[in-house]
Amino acid sequence: MKVLLIEDEKTLAYEVEAFLKKAFYICDLAHTAARGLEMLGVNPYDFVLLDLGLPDLDGLKVLKEAKKLNPDAAYIILTARGNIEDRIIGLDLGADDYLPKPFSLLELQSRMQAISRRKFKVSTQEIPLGEFMIDLQKRIISHQGTEIELTRKEYDLLSYLLLHKNRVLTRMQLSEHIWGTFADDDYDSNYIDVHIKNIRKKLSVFAPVEWLETVRGVGYKIRKQ
Amino acid sequence: MKLNSKLTLFITLSKLAIVLLFVLTLPYLTGRIARTYTDYYLQQQKEKVLEVVARNGVESYLQGEASYGSYTMLKEEYISLEPVEEGFTLDTIYTDERIIEQDTLNYRVLTHVFPAGKGSYLMEVGKTVETIEQYNRPLQRIATYVLLGLILITLVVDLFYTRFLLKPLGEIIRTKISNRKFPFNENSDPVHTSTSDFRFLDQSLISLMNQIHEAFEKEREFTANASHELMTPIGILQNKIENLMAEPEVSEFVQDRLIGMQRTLNRLKRIVHSLLLISRIDNDQFSKKDTVSTTELFGDILDEISHRLSEKEIGLRINLSEQIVFQNVNRDLLFQMFYNLLNNAIRYNKNEGKITASDRKNDDGTYLITISDTGIGIPEDEISSIFNRFKKANNSEDGAGYGLGLSIVKSISDYHRITINIESKLSVGTTFTLVFPSGLIKDI
Repeated sequence: MKVLLIEDEKTLAYEVEAFLKKAFYICDLAHTAARGLEMLGVNPYDFVLLDLGLPDLDGLKVLKEAKKLNPDAAYIILTARGNIEDRIIGLDLGADDYLPKPFSLLELQSRMQAISRRKFKVSTQEIPLGEFMIDLQKRIISHQGTEIELTRKEYDLLSYLLLHKNRVLTRMQLSEHIWGTFADDDYDSNYIDVHIKNIRKKLSVFAPVEWLETVRGVGYKIRKQ
Repeated sequence: MKLNSKLTLFITLSKLAIVLLFVLTLPYLTGRIARTYTDYYLQQQKEKVLEVVARNGVESYLQGEASYGSYTMLKEEYISLEPVEEGFTLDTIYTDERIIEQDTLNYRVLTHVFPAGKGSYLMEVGKTVETIEQYNRPLQRIATYVLLGLILITLVVDLFYTRFLLKPLGEIIRTKISNRKFPFNENSDPVHTSTSDFRFLDQSLISLMNQIHEAFEKEREFTANASHELMTPIGILQNKIENLMAEPEVSEFVQDRLIGMQRTLNRLKRIVHSLLLISRIDNDQFSKKDTVSTTELFGDILDEISHRLSEKEIGLRINLSEQIVFQNVNRDLLFQMFYNLLNNAIRYNKNEGKITASDRKNDDGTYLITISDTGIGIPEDEISSIFNRFKKANNSEDGAGYGLGLSIVKSISDYHRITINIESKLSVGTTFTLVFPSGLIKDI
């Protein structure tokens, strides 16, 4: 997957780049709208991550231009403006998603994955997890054909951990993903434990769940080859 | 009382007083005028008699008799001459009774003693009081009518003119003072008037409101800009920490520190988020076009908070009528408002406590929702300040919450013109009462 990040804040751009490279994306950087559009004209990209607050051109205009140059790419708007109007206009102009700054890199990757599934029909097949199978498209987890009922939040938690497999996710990162802006400081991290406990309880009826690890003092991770 | 009413009242009363005074003094005035005129008339008659006497001698009247007397047909006037002793003088006008041919009548009498021939004569010229006063009544009536007519005309003219004069003032009050909502962000045109006082008042108000508006605007702009400027570095830090935590060579010790940093950063992020939300609400950046029912709203909130309720084993009883639908609201903001209130009710509640949400529709169309908890309560002297930013109840045990939750509630309720009342008793509980104006309630 090839990603173009158009972001004038260089430090932020480098962090995103480092993260995406680790997640096996090929990432190009542009620090101005002009440079970004130039690169879009030359190279094909799967993803364009676009900051709306660029110094040389209004982000929404960049989006319009970029869509003309590369209509097939998936566009994710990144912005610190956080206007609801921006979000609506952006999505109307054909952006696939919208992430307000500051955002978690894990969240960014999760959104990109969701778009991949939706837009590029990538990995529509079921993903094995221990003795279980997860269908990310249908949001179903099953064991030998038996569907296991998880609550929405439990499923979200599990799939987020699965997406970032072999990486420890802190309780805070998890609760931010689940509750978004409604996550309270510290307050919700305990509930992650409750949810994990429930997931283990529900799944271990069918098969062992030793792949779902507790990392003491940090959080949880899914260990998977 | 309004200035216009006061002036109207004053003008009417003062004119009434003038009429009253006039009507009361009119009989005296007309009487006096009639008398003065009569006296003048009698003097004239006297002069005529004296003239005749001087020209023809007193004998022309006496015709050999000792005295002379003559009266008109109906005895309205009479004249008499009779001799008096030498040295007797009398020269006056007075009202007295006279008997003329068996008729006793009241006369205004002029007496005058004058020398003629061999002796002095006393002349009396009289006019009946009745004839003097015969025009008084009609005169009084006509005068009263004319006066009343004039007063009525001036009254109407005065009232219309004061109304016209005060119209700009009313307009200033209507457009500049009442019906205006802080922070006066709508522009208002100067009121047209030729009265310099009003123009001055109007201009002062306009410039004052512009100043307030500007100051407020600056503050809002600052909050919005500062928050945005803060978001980017927070984002950078967050991403740096995330990347660092994924490094395989990071030790457990460093990992632990990184989690601490993440937590602090998260706190900072939440504060900035909240400030930005408040500034956006105050900035009118949210549309109020949504329609949402209470059931829907509370159902969604319950989804978000049920895990907190069950942790503290708090019983939540939602006792709301199902047919209430809000209109002209922002759904997300209302959600946030009720969410914050319920979340607070959980946060400051005791274990196995209770939360009750109930409602009532008033006759005047307003709608009322109360949310009561069995929590620690708020001290009386702190109730007035709980909506202030960064004010945290002193007795919060866990140190959680950074005092912006209720500020957000306040901003949202102000934005929708919802009134909030708080009642609280220490260690008994707190009740928030939200009064929704009728305009927000959809008729079903």
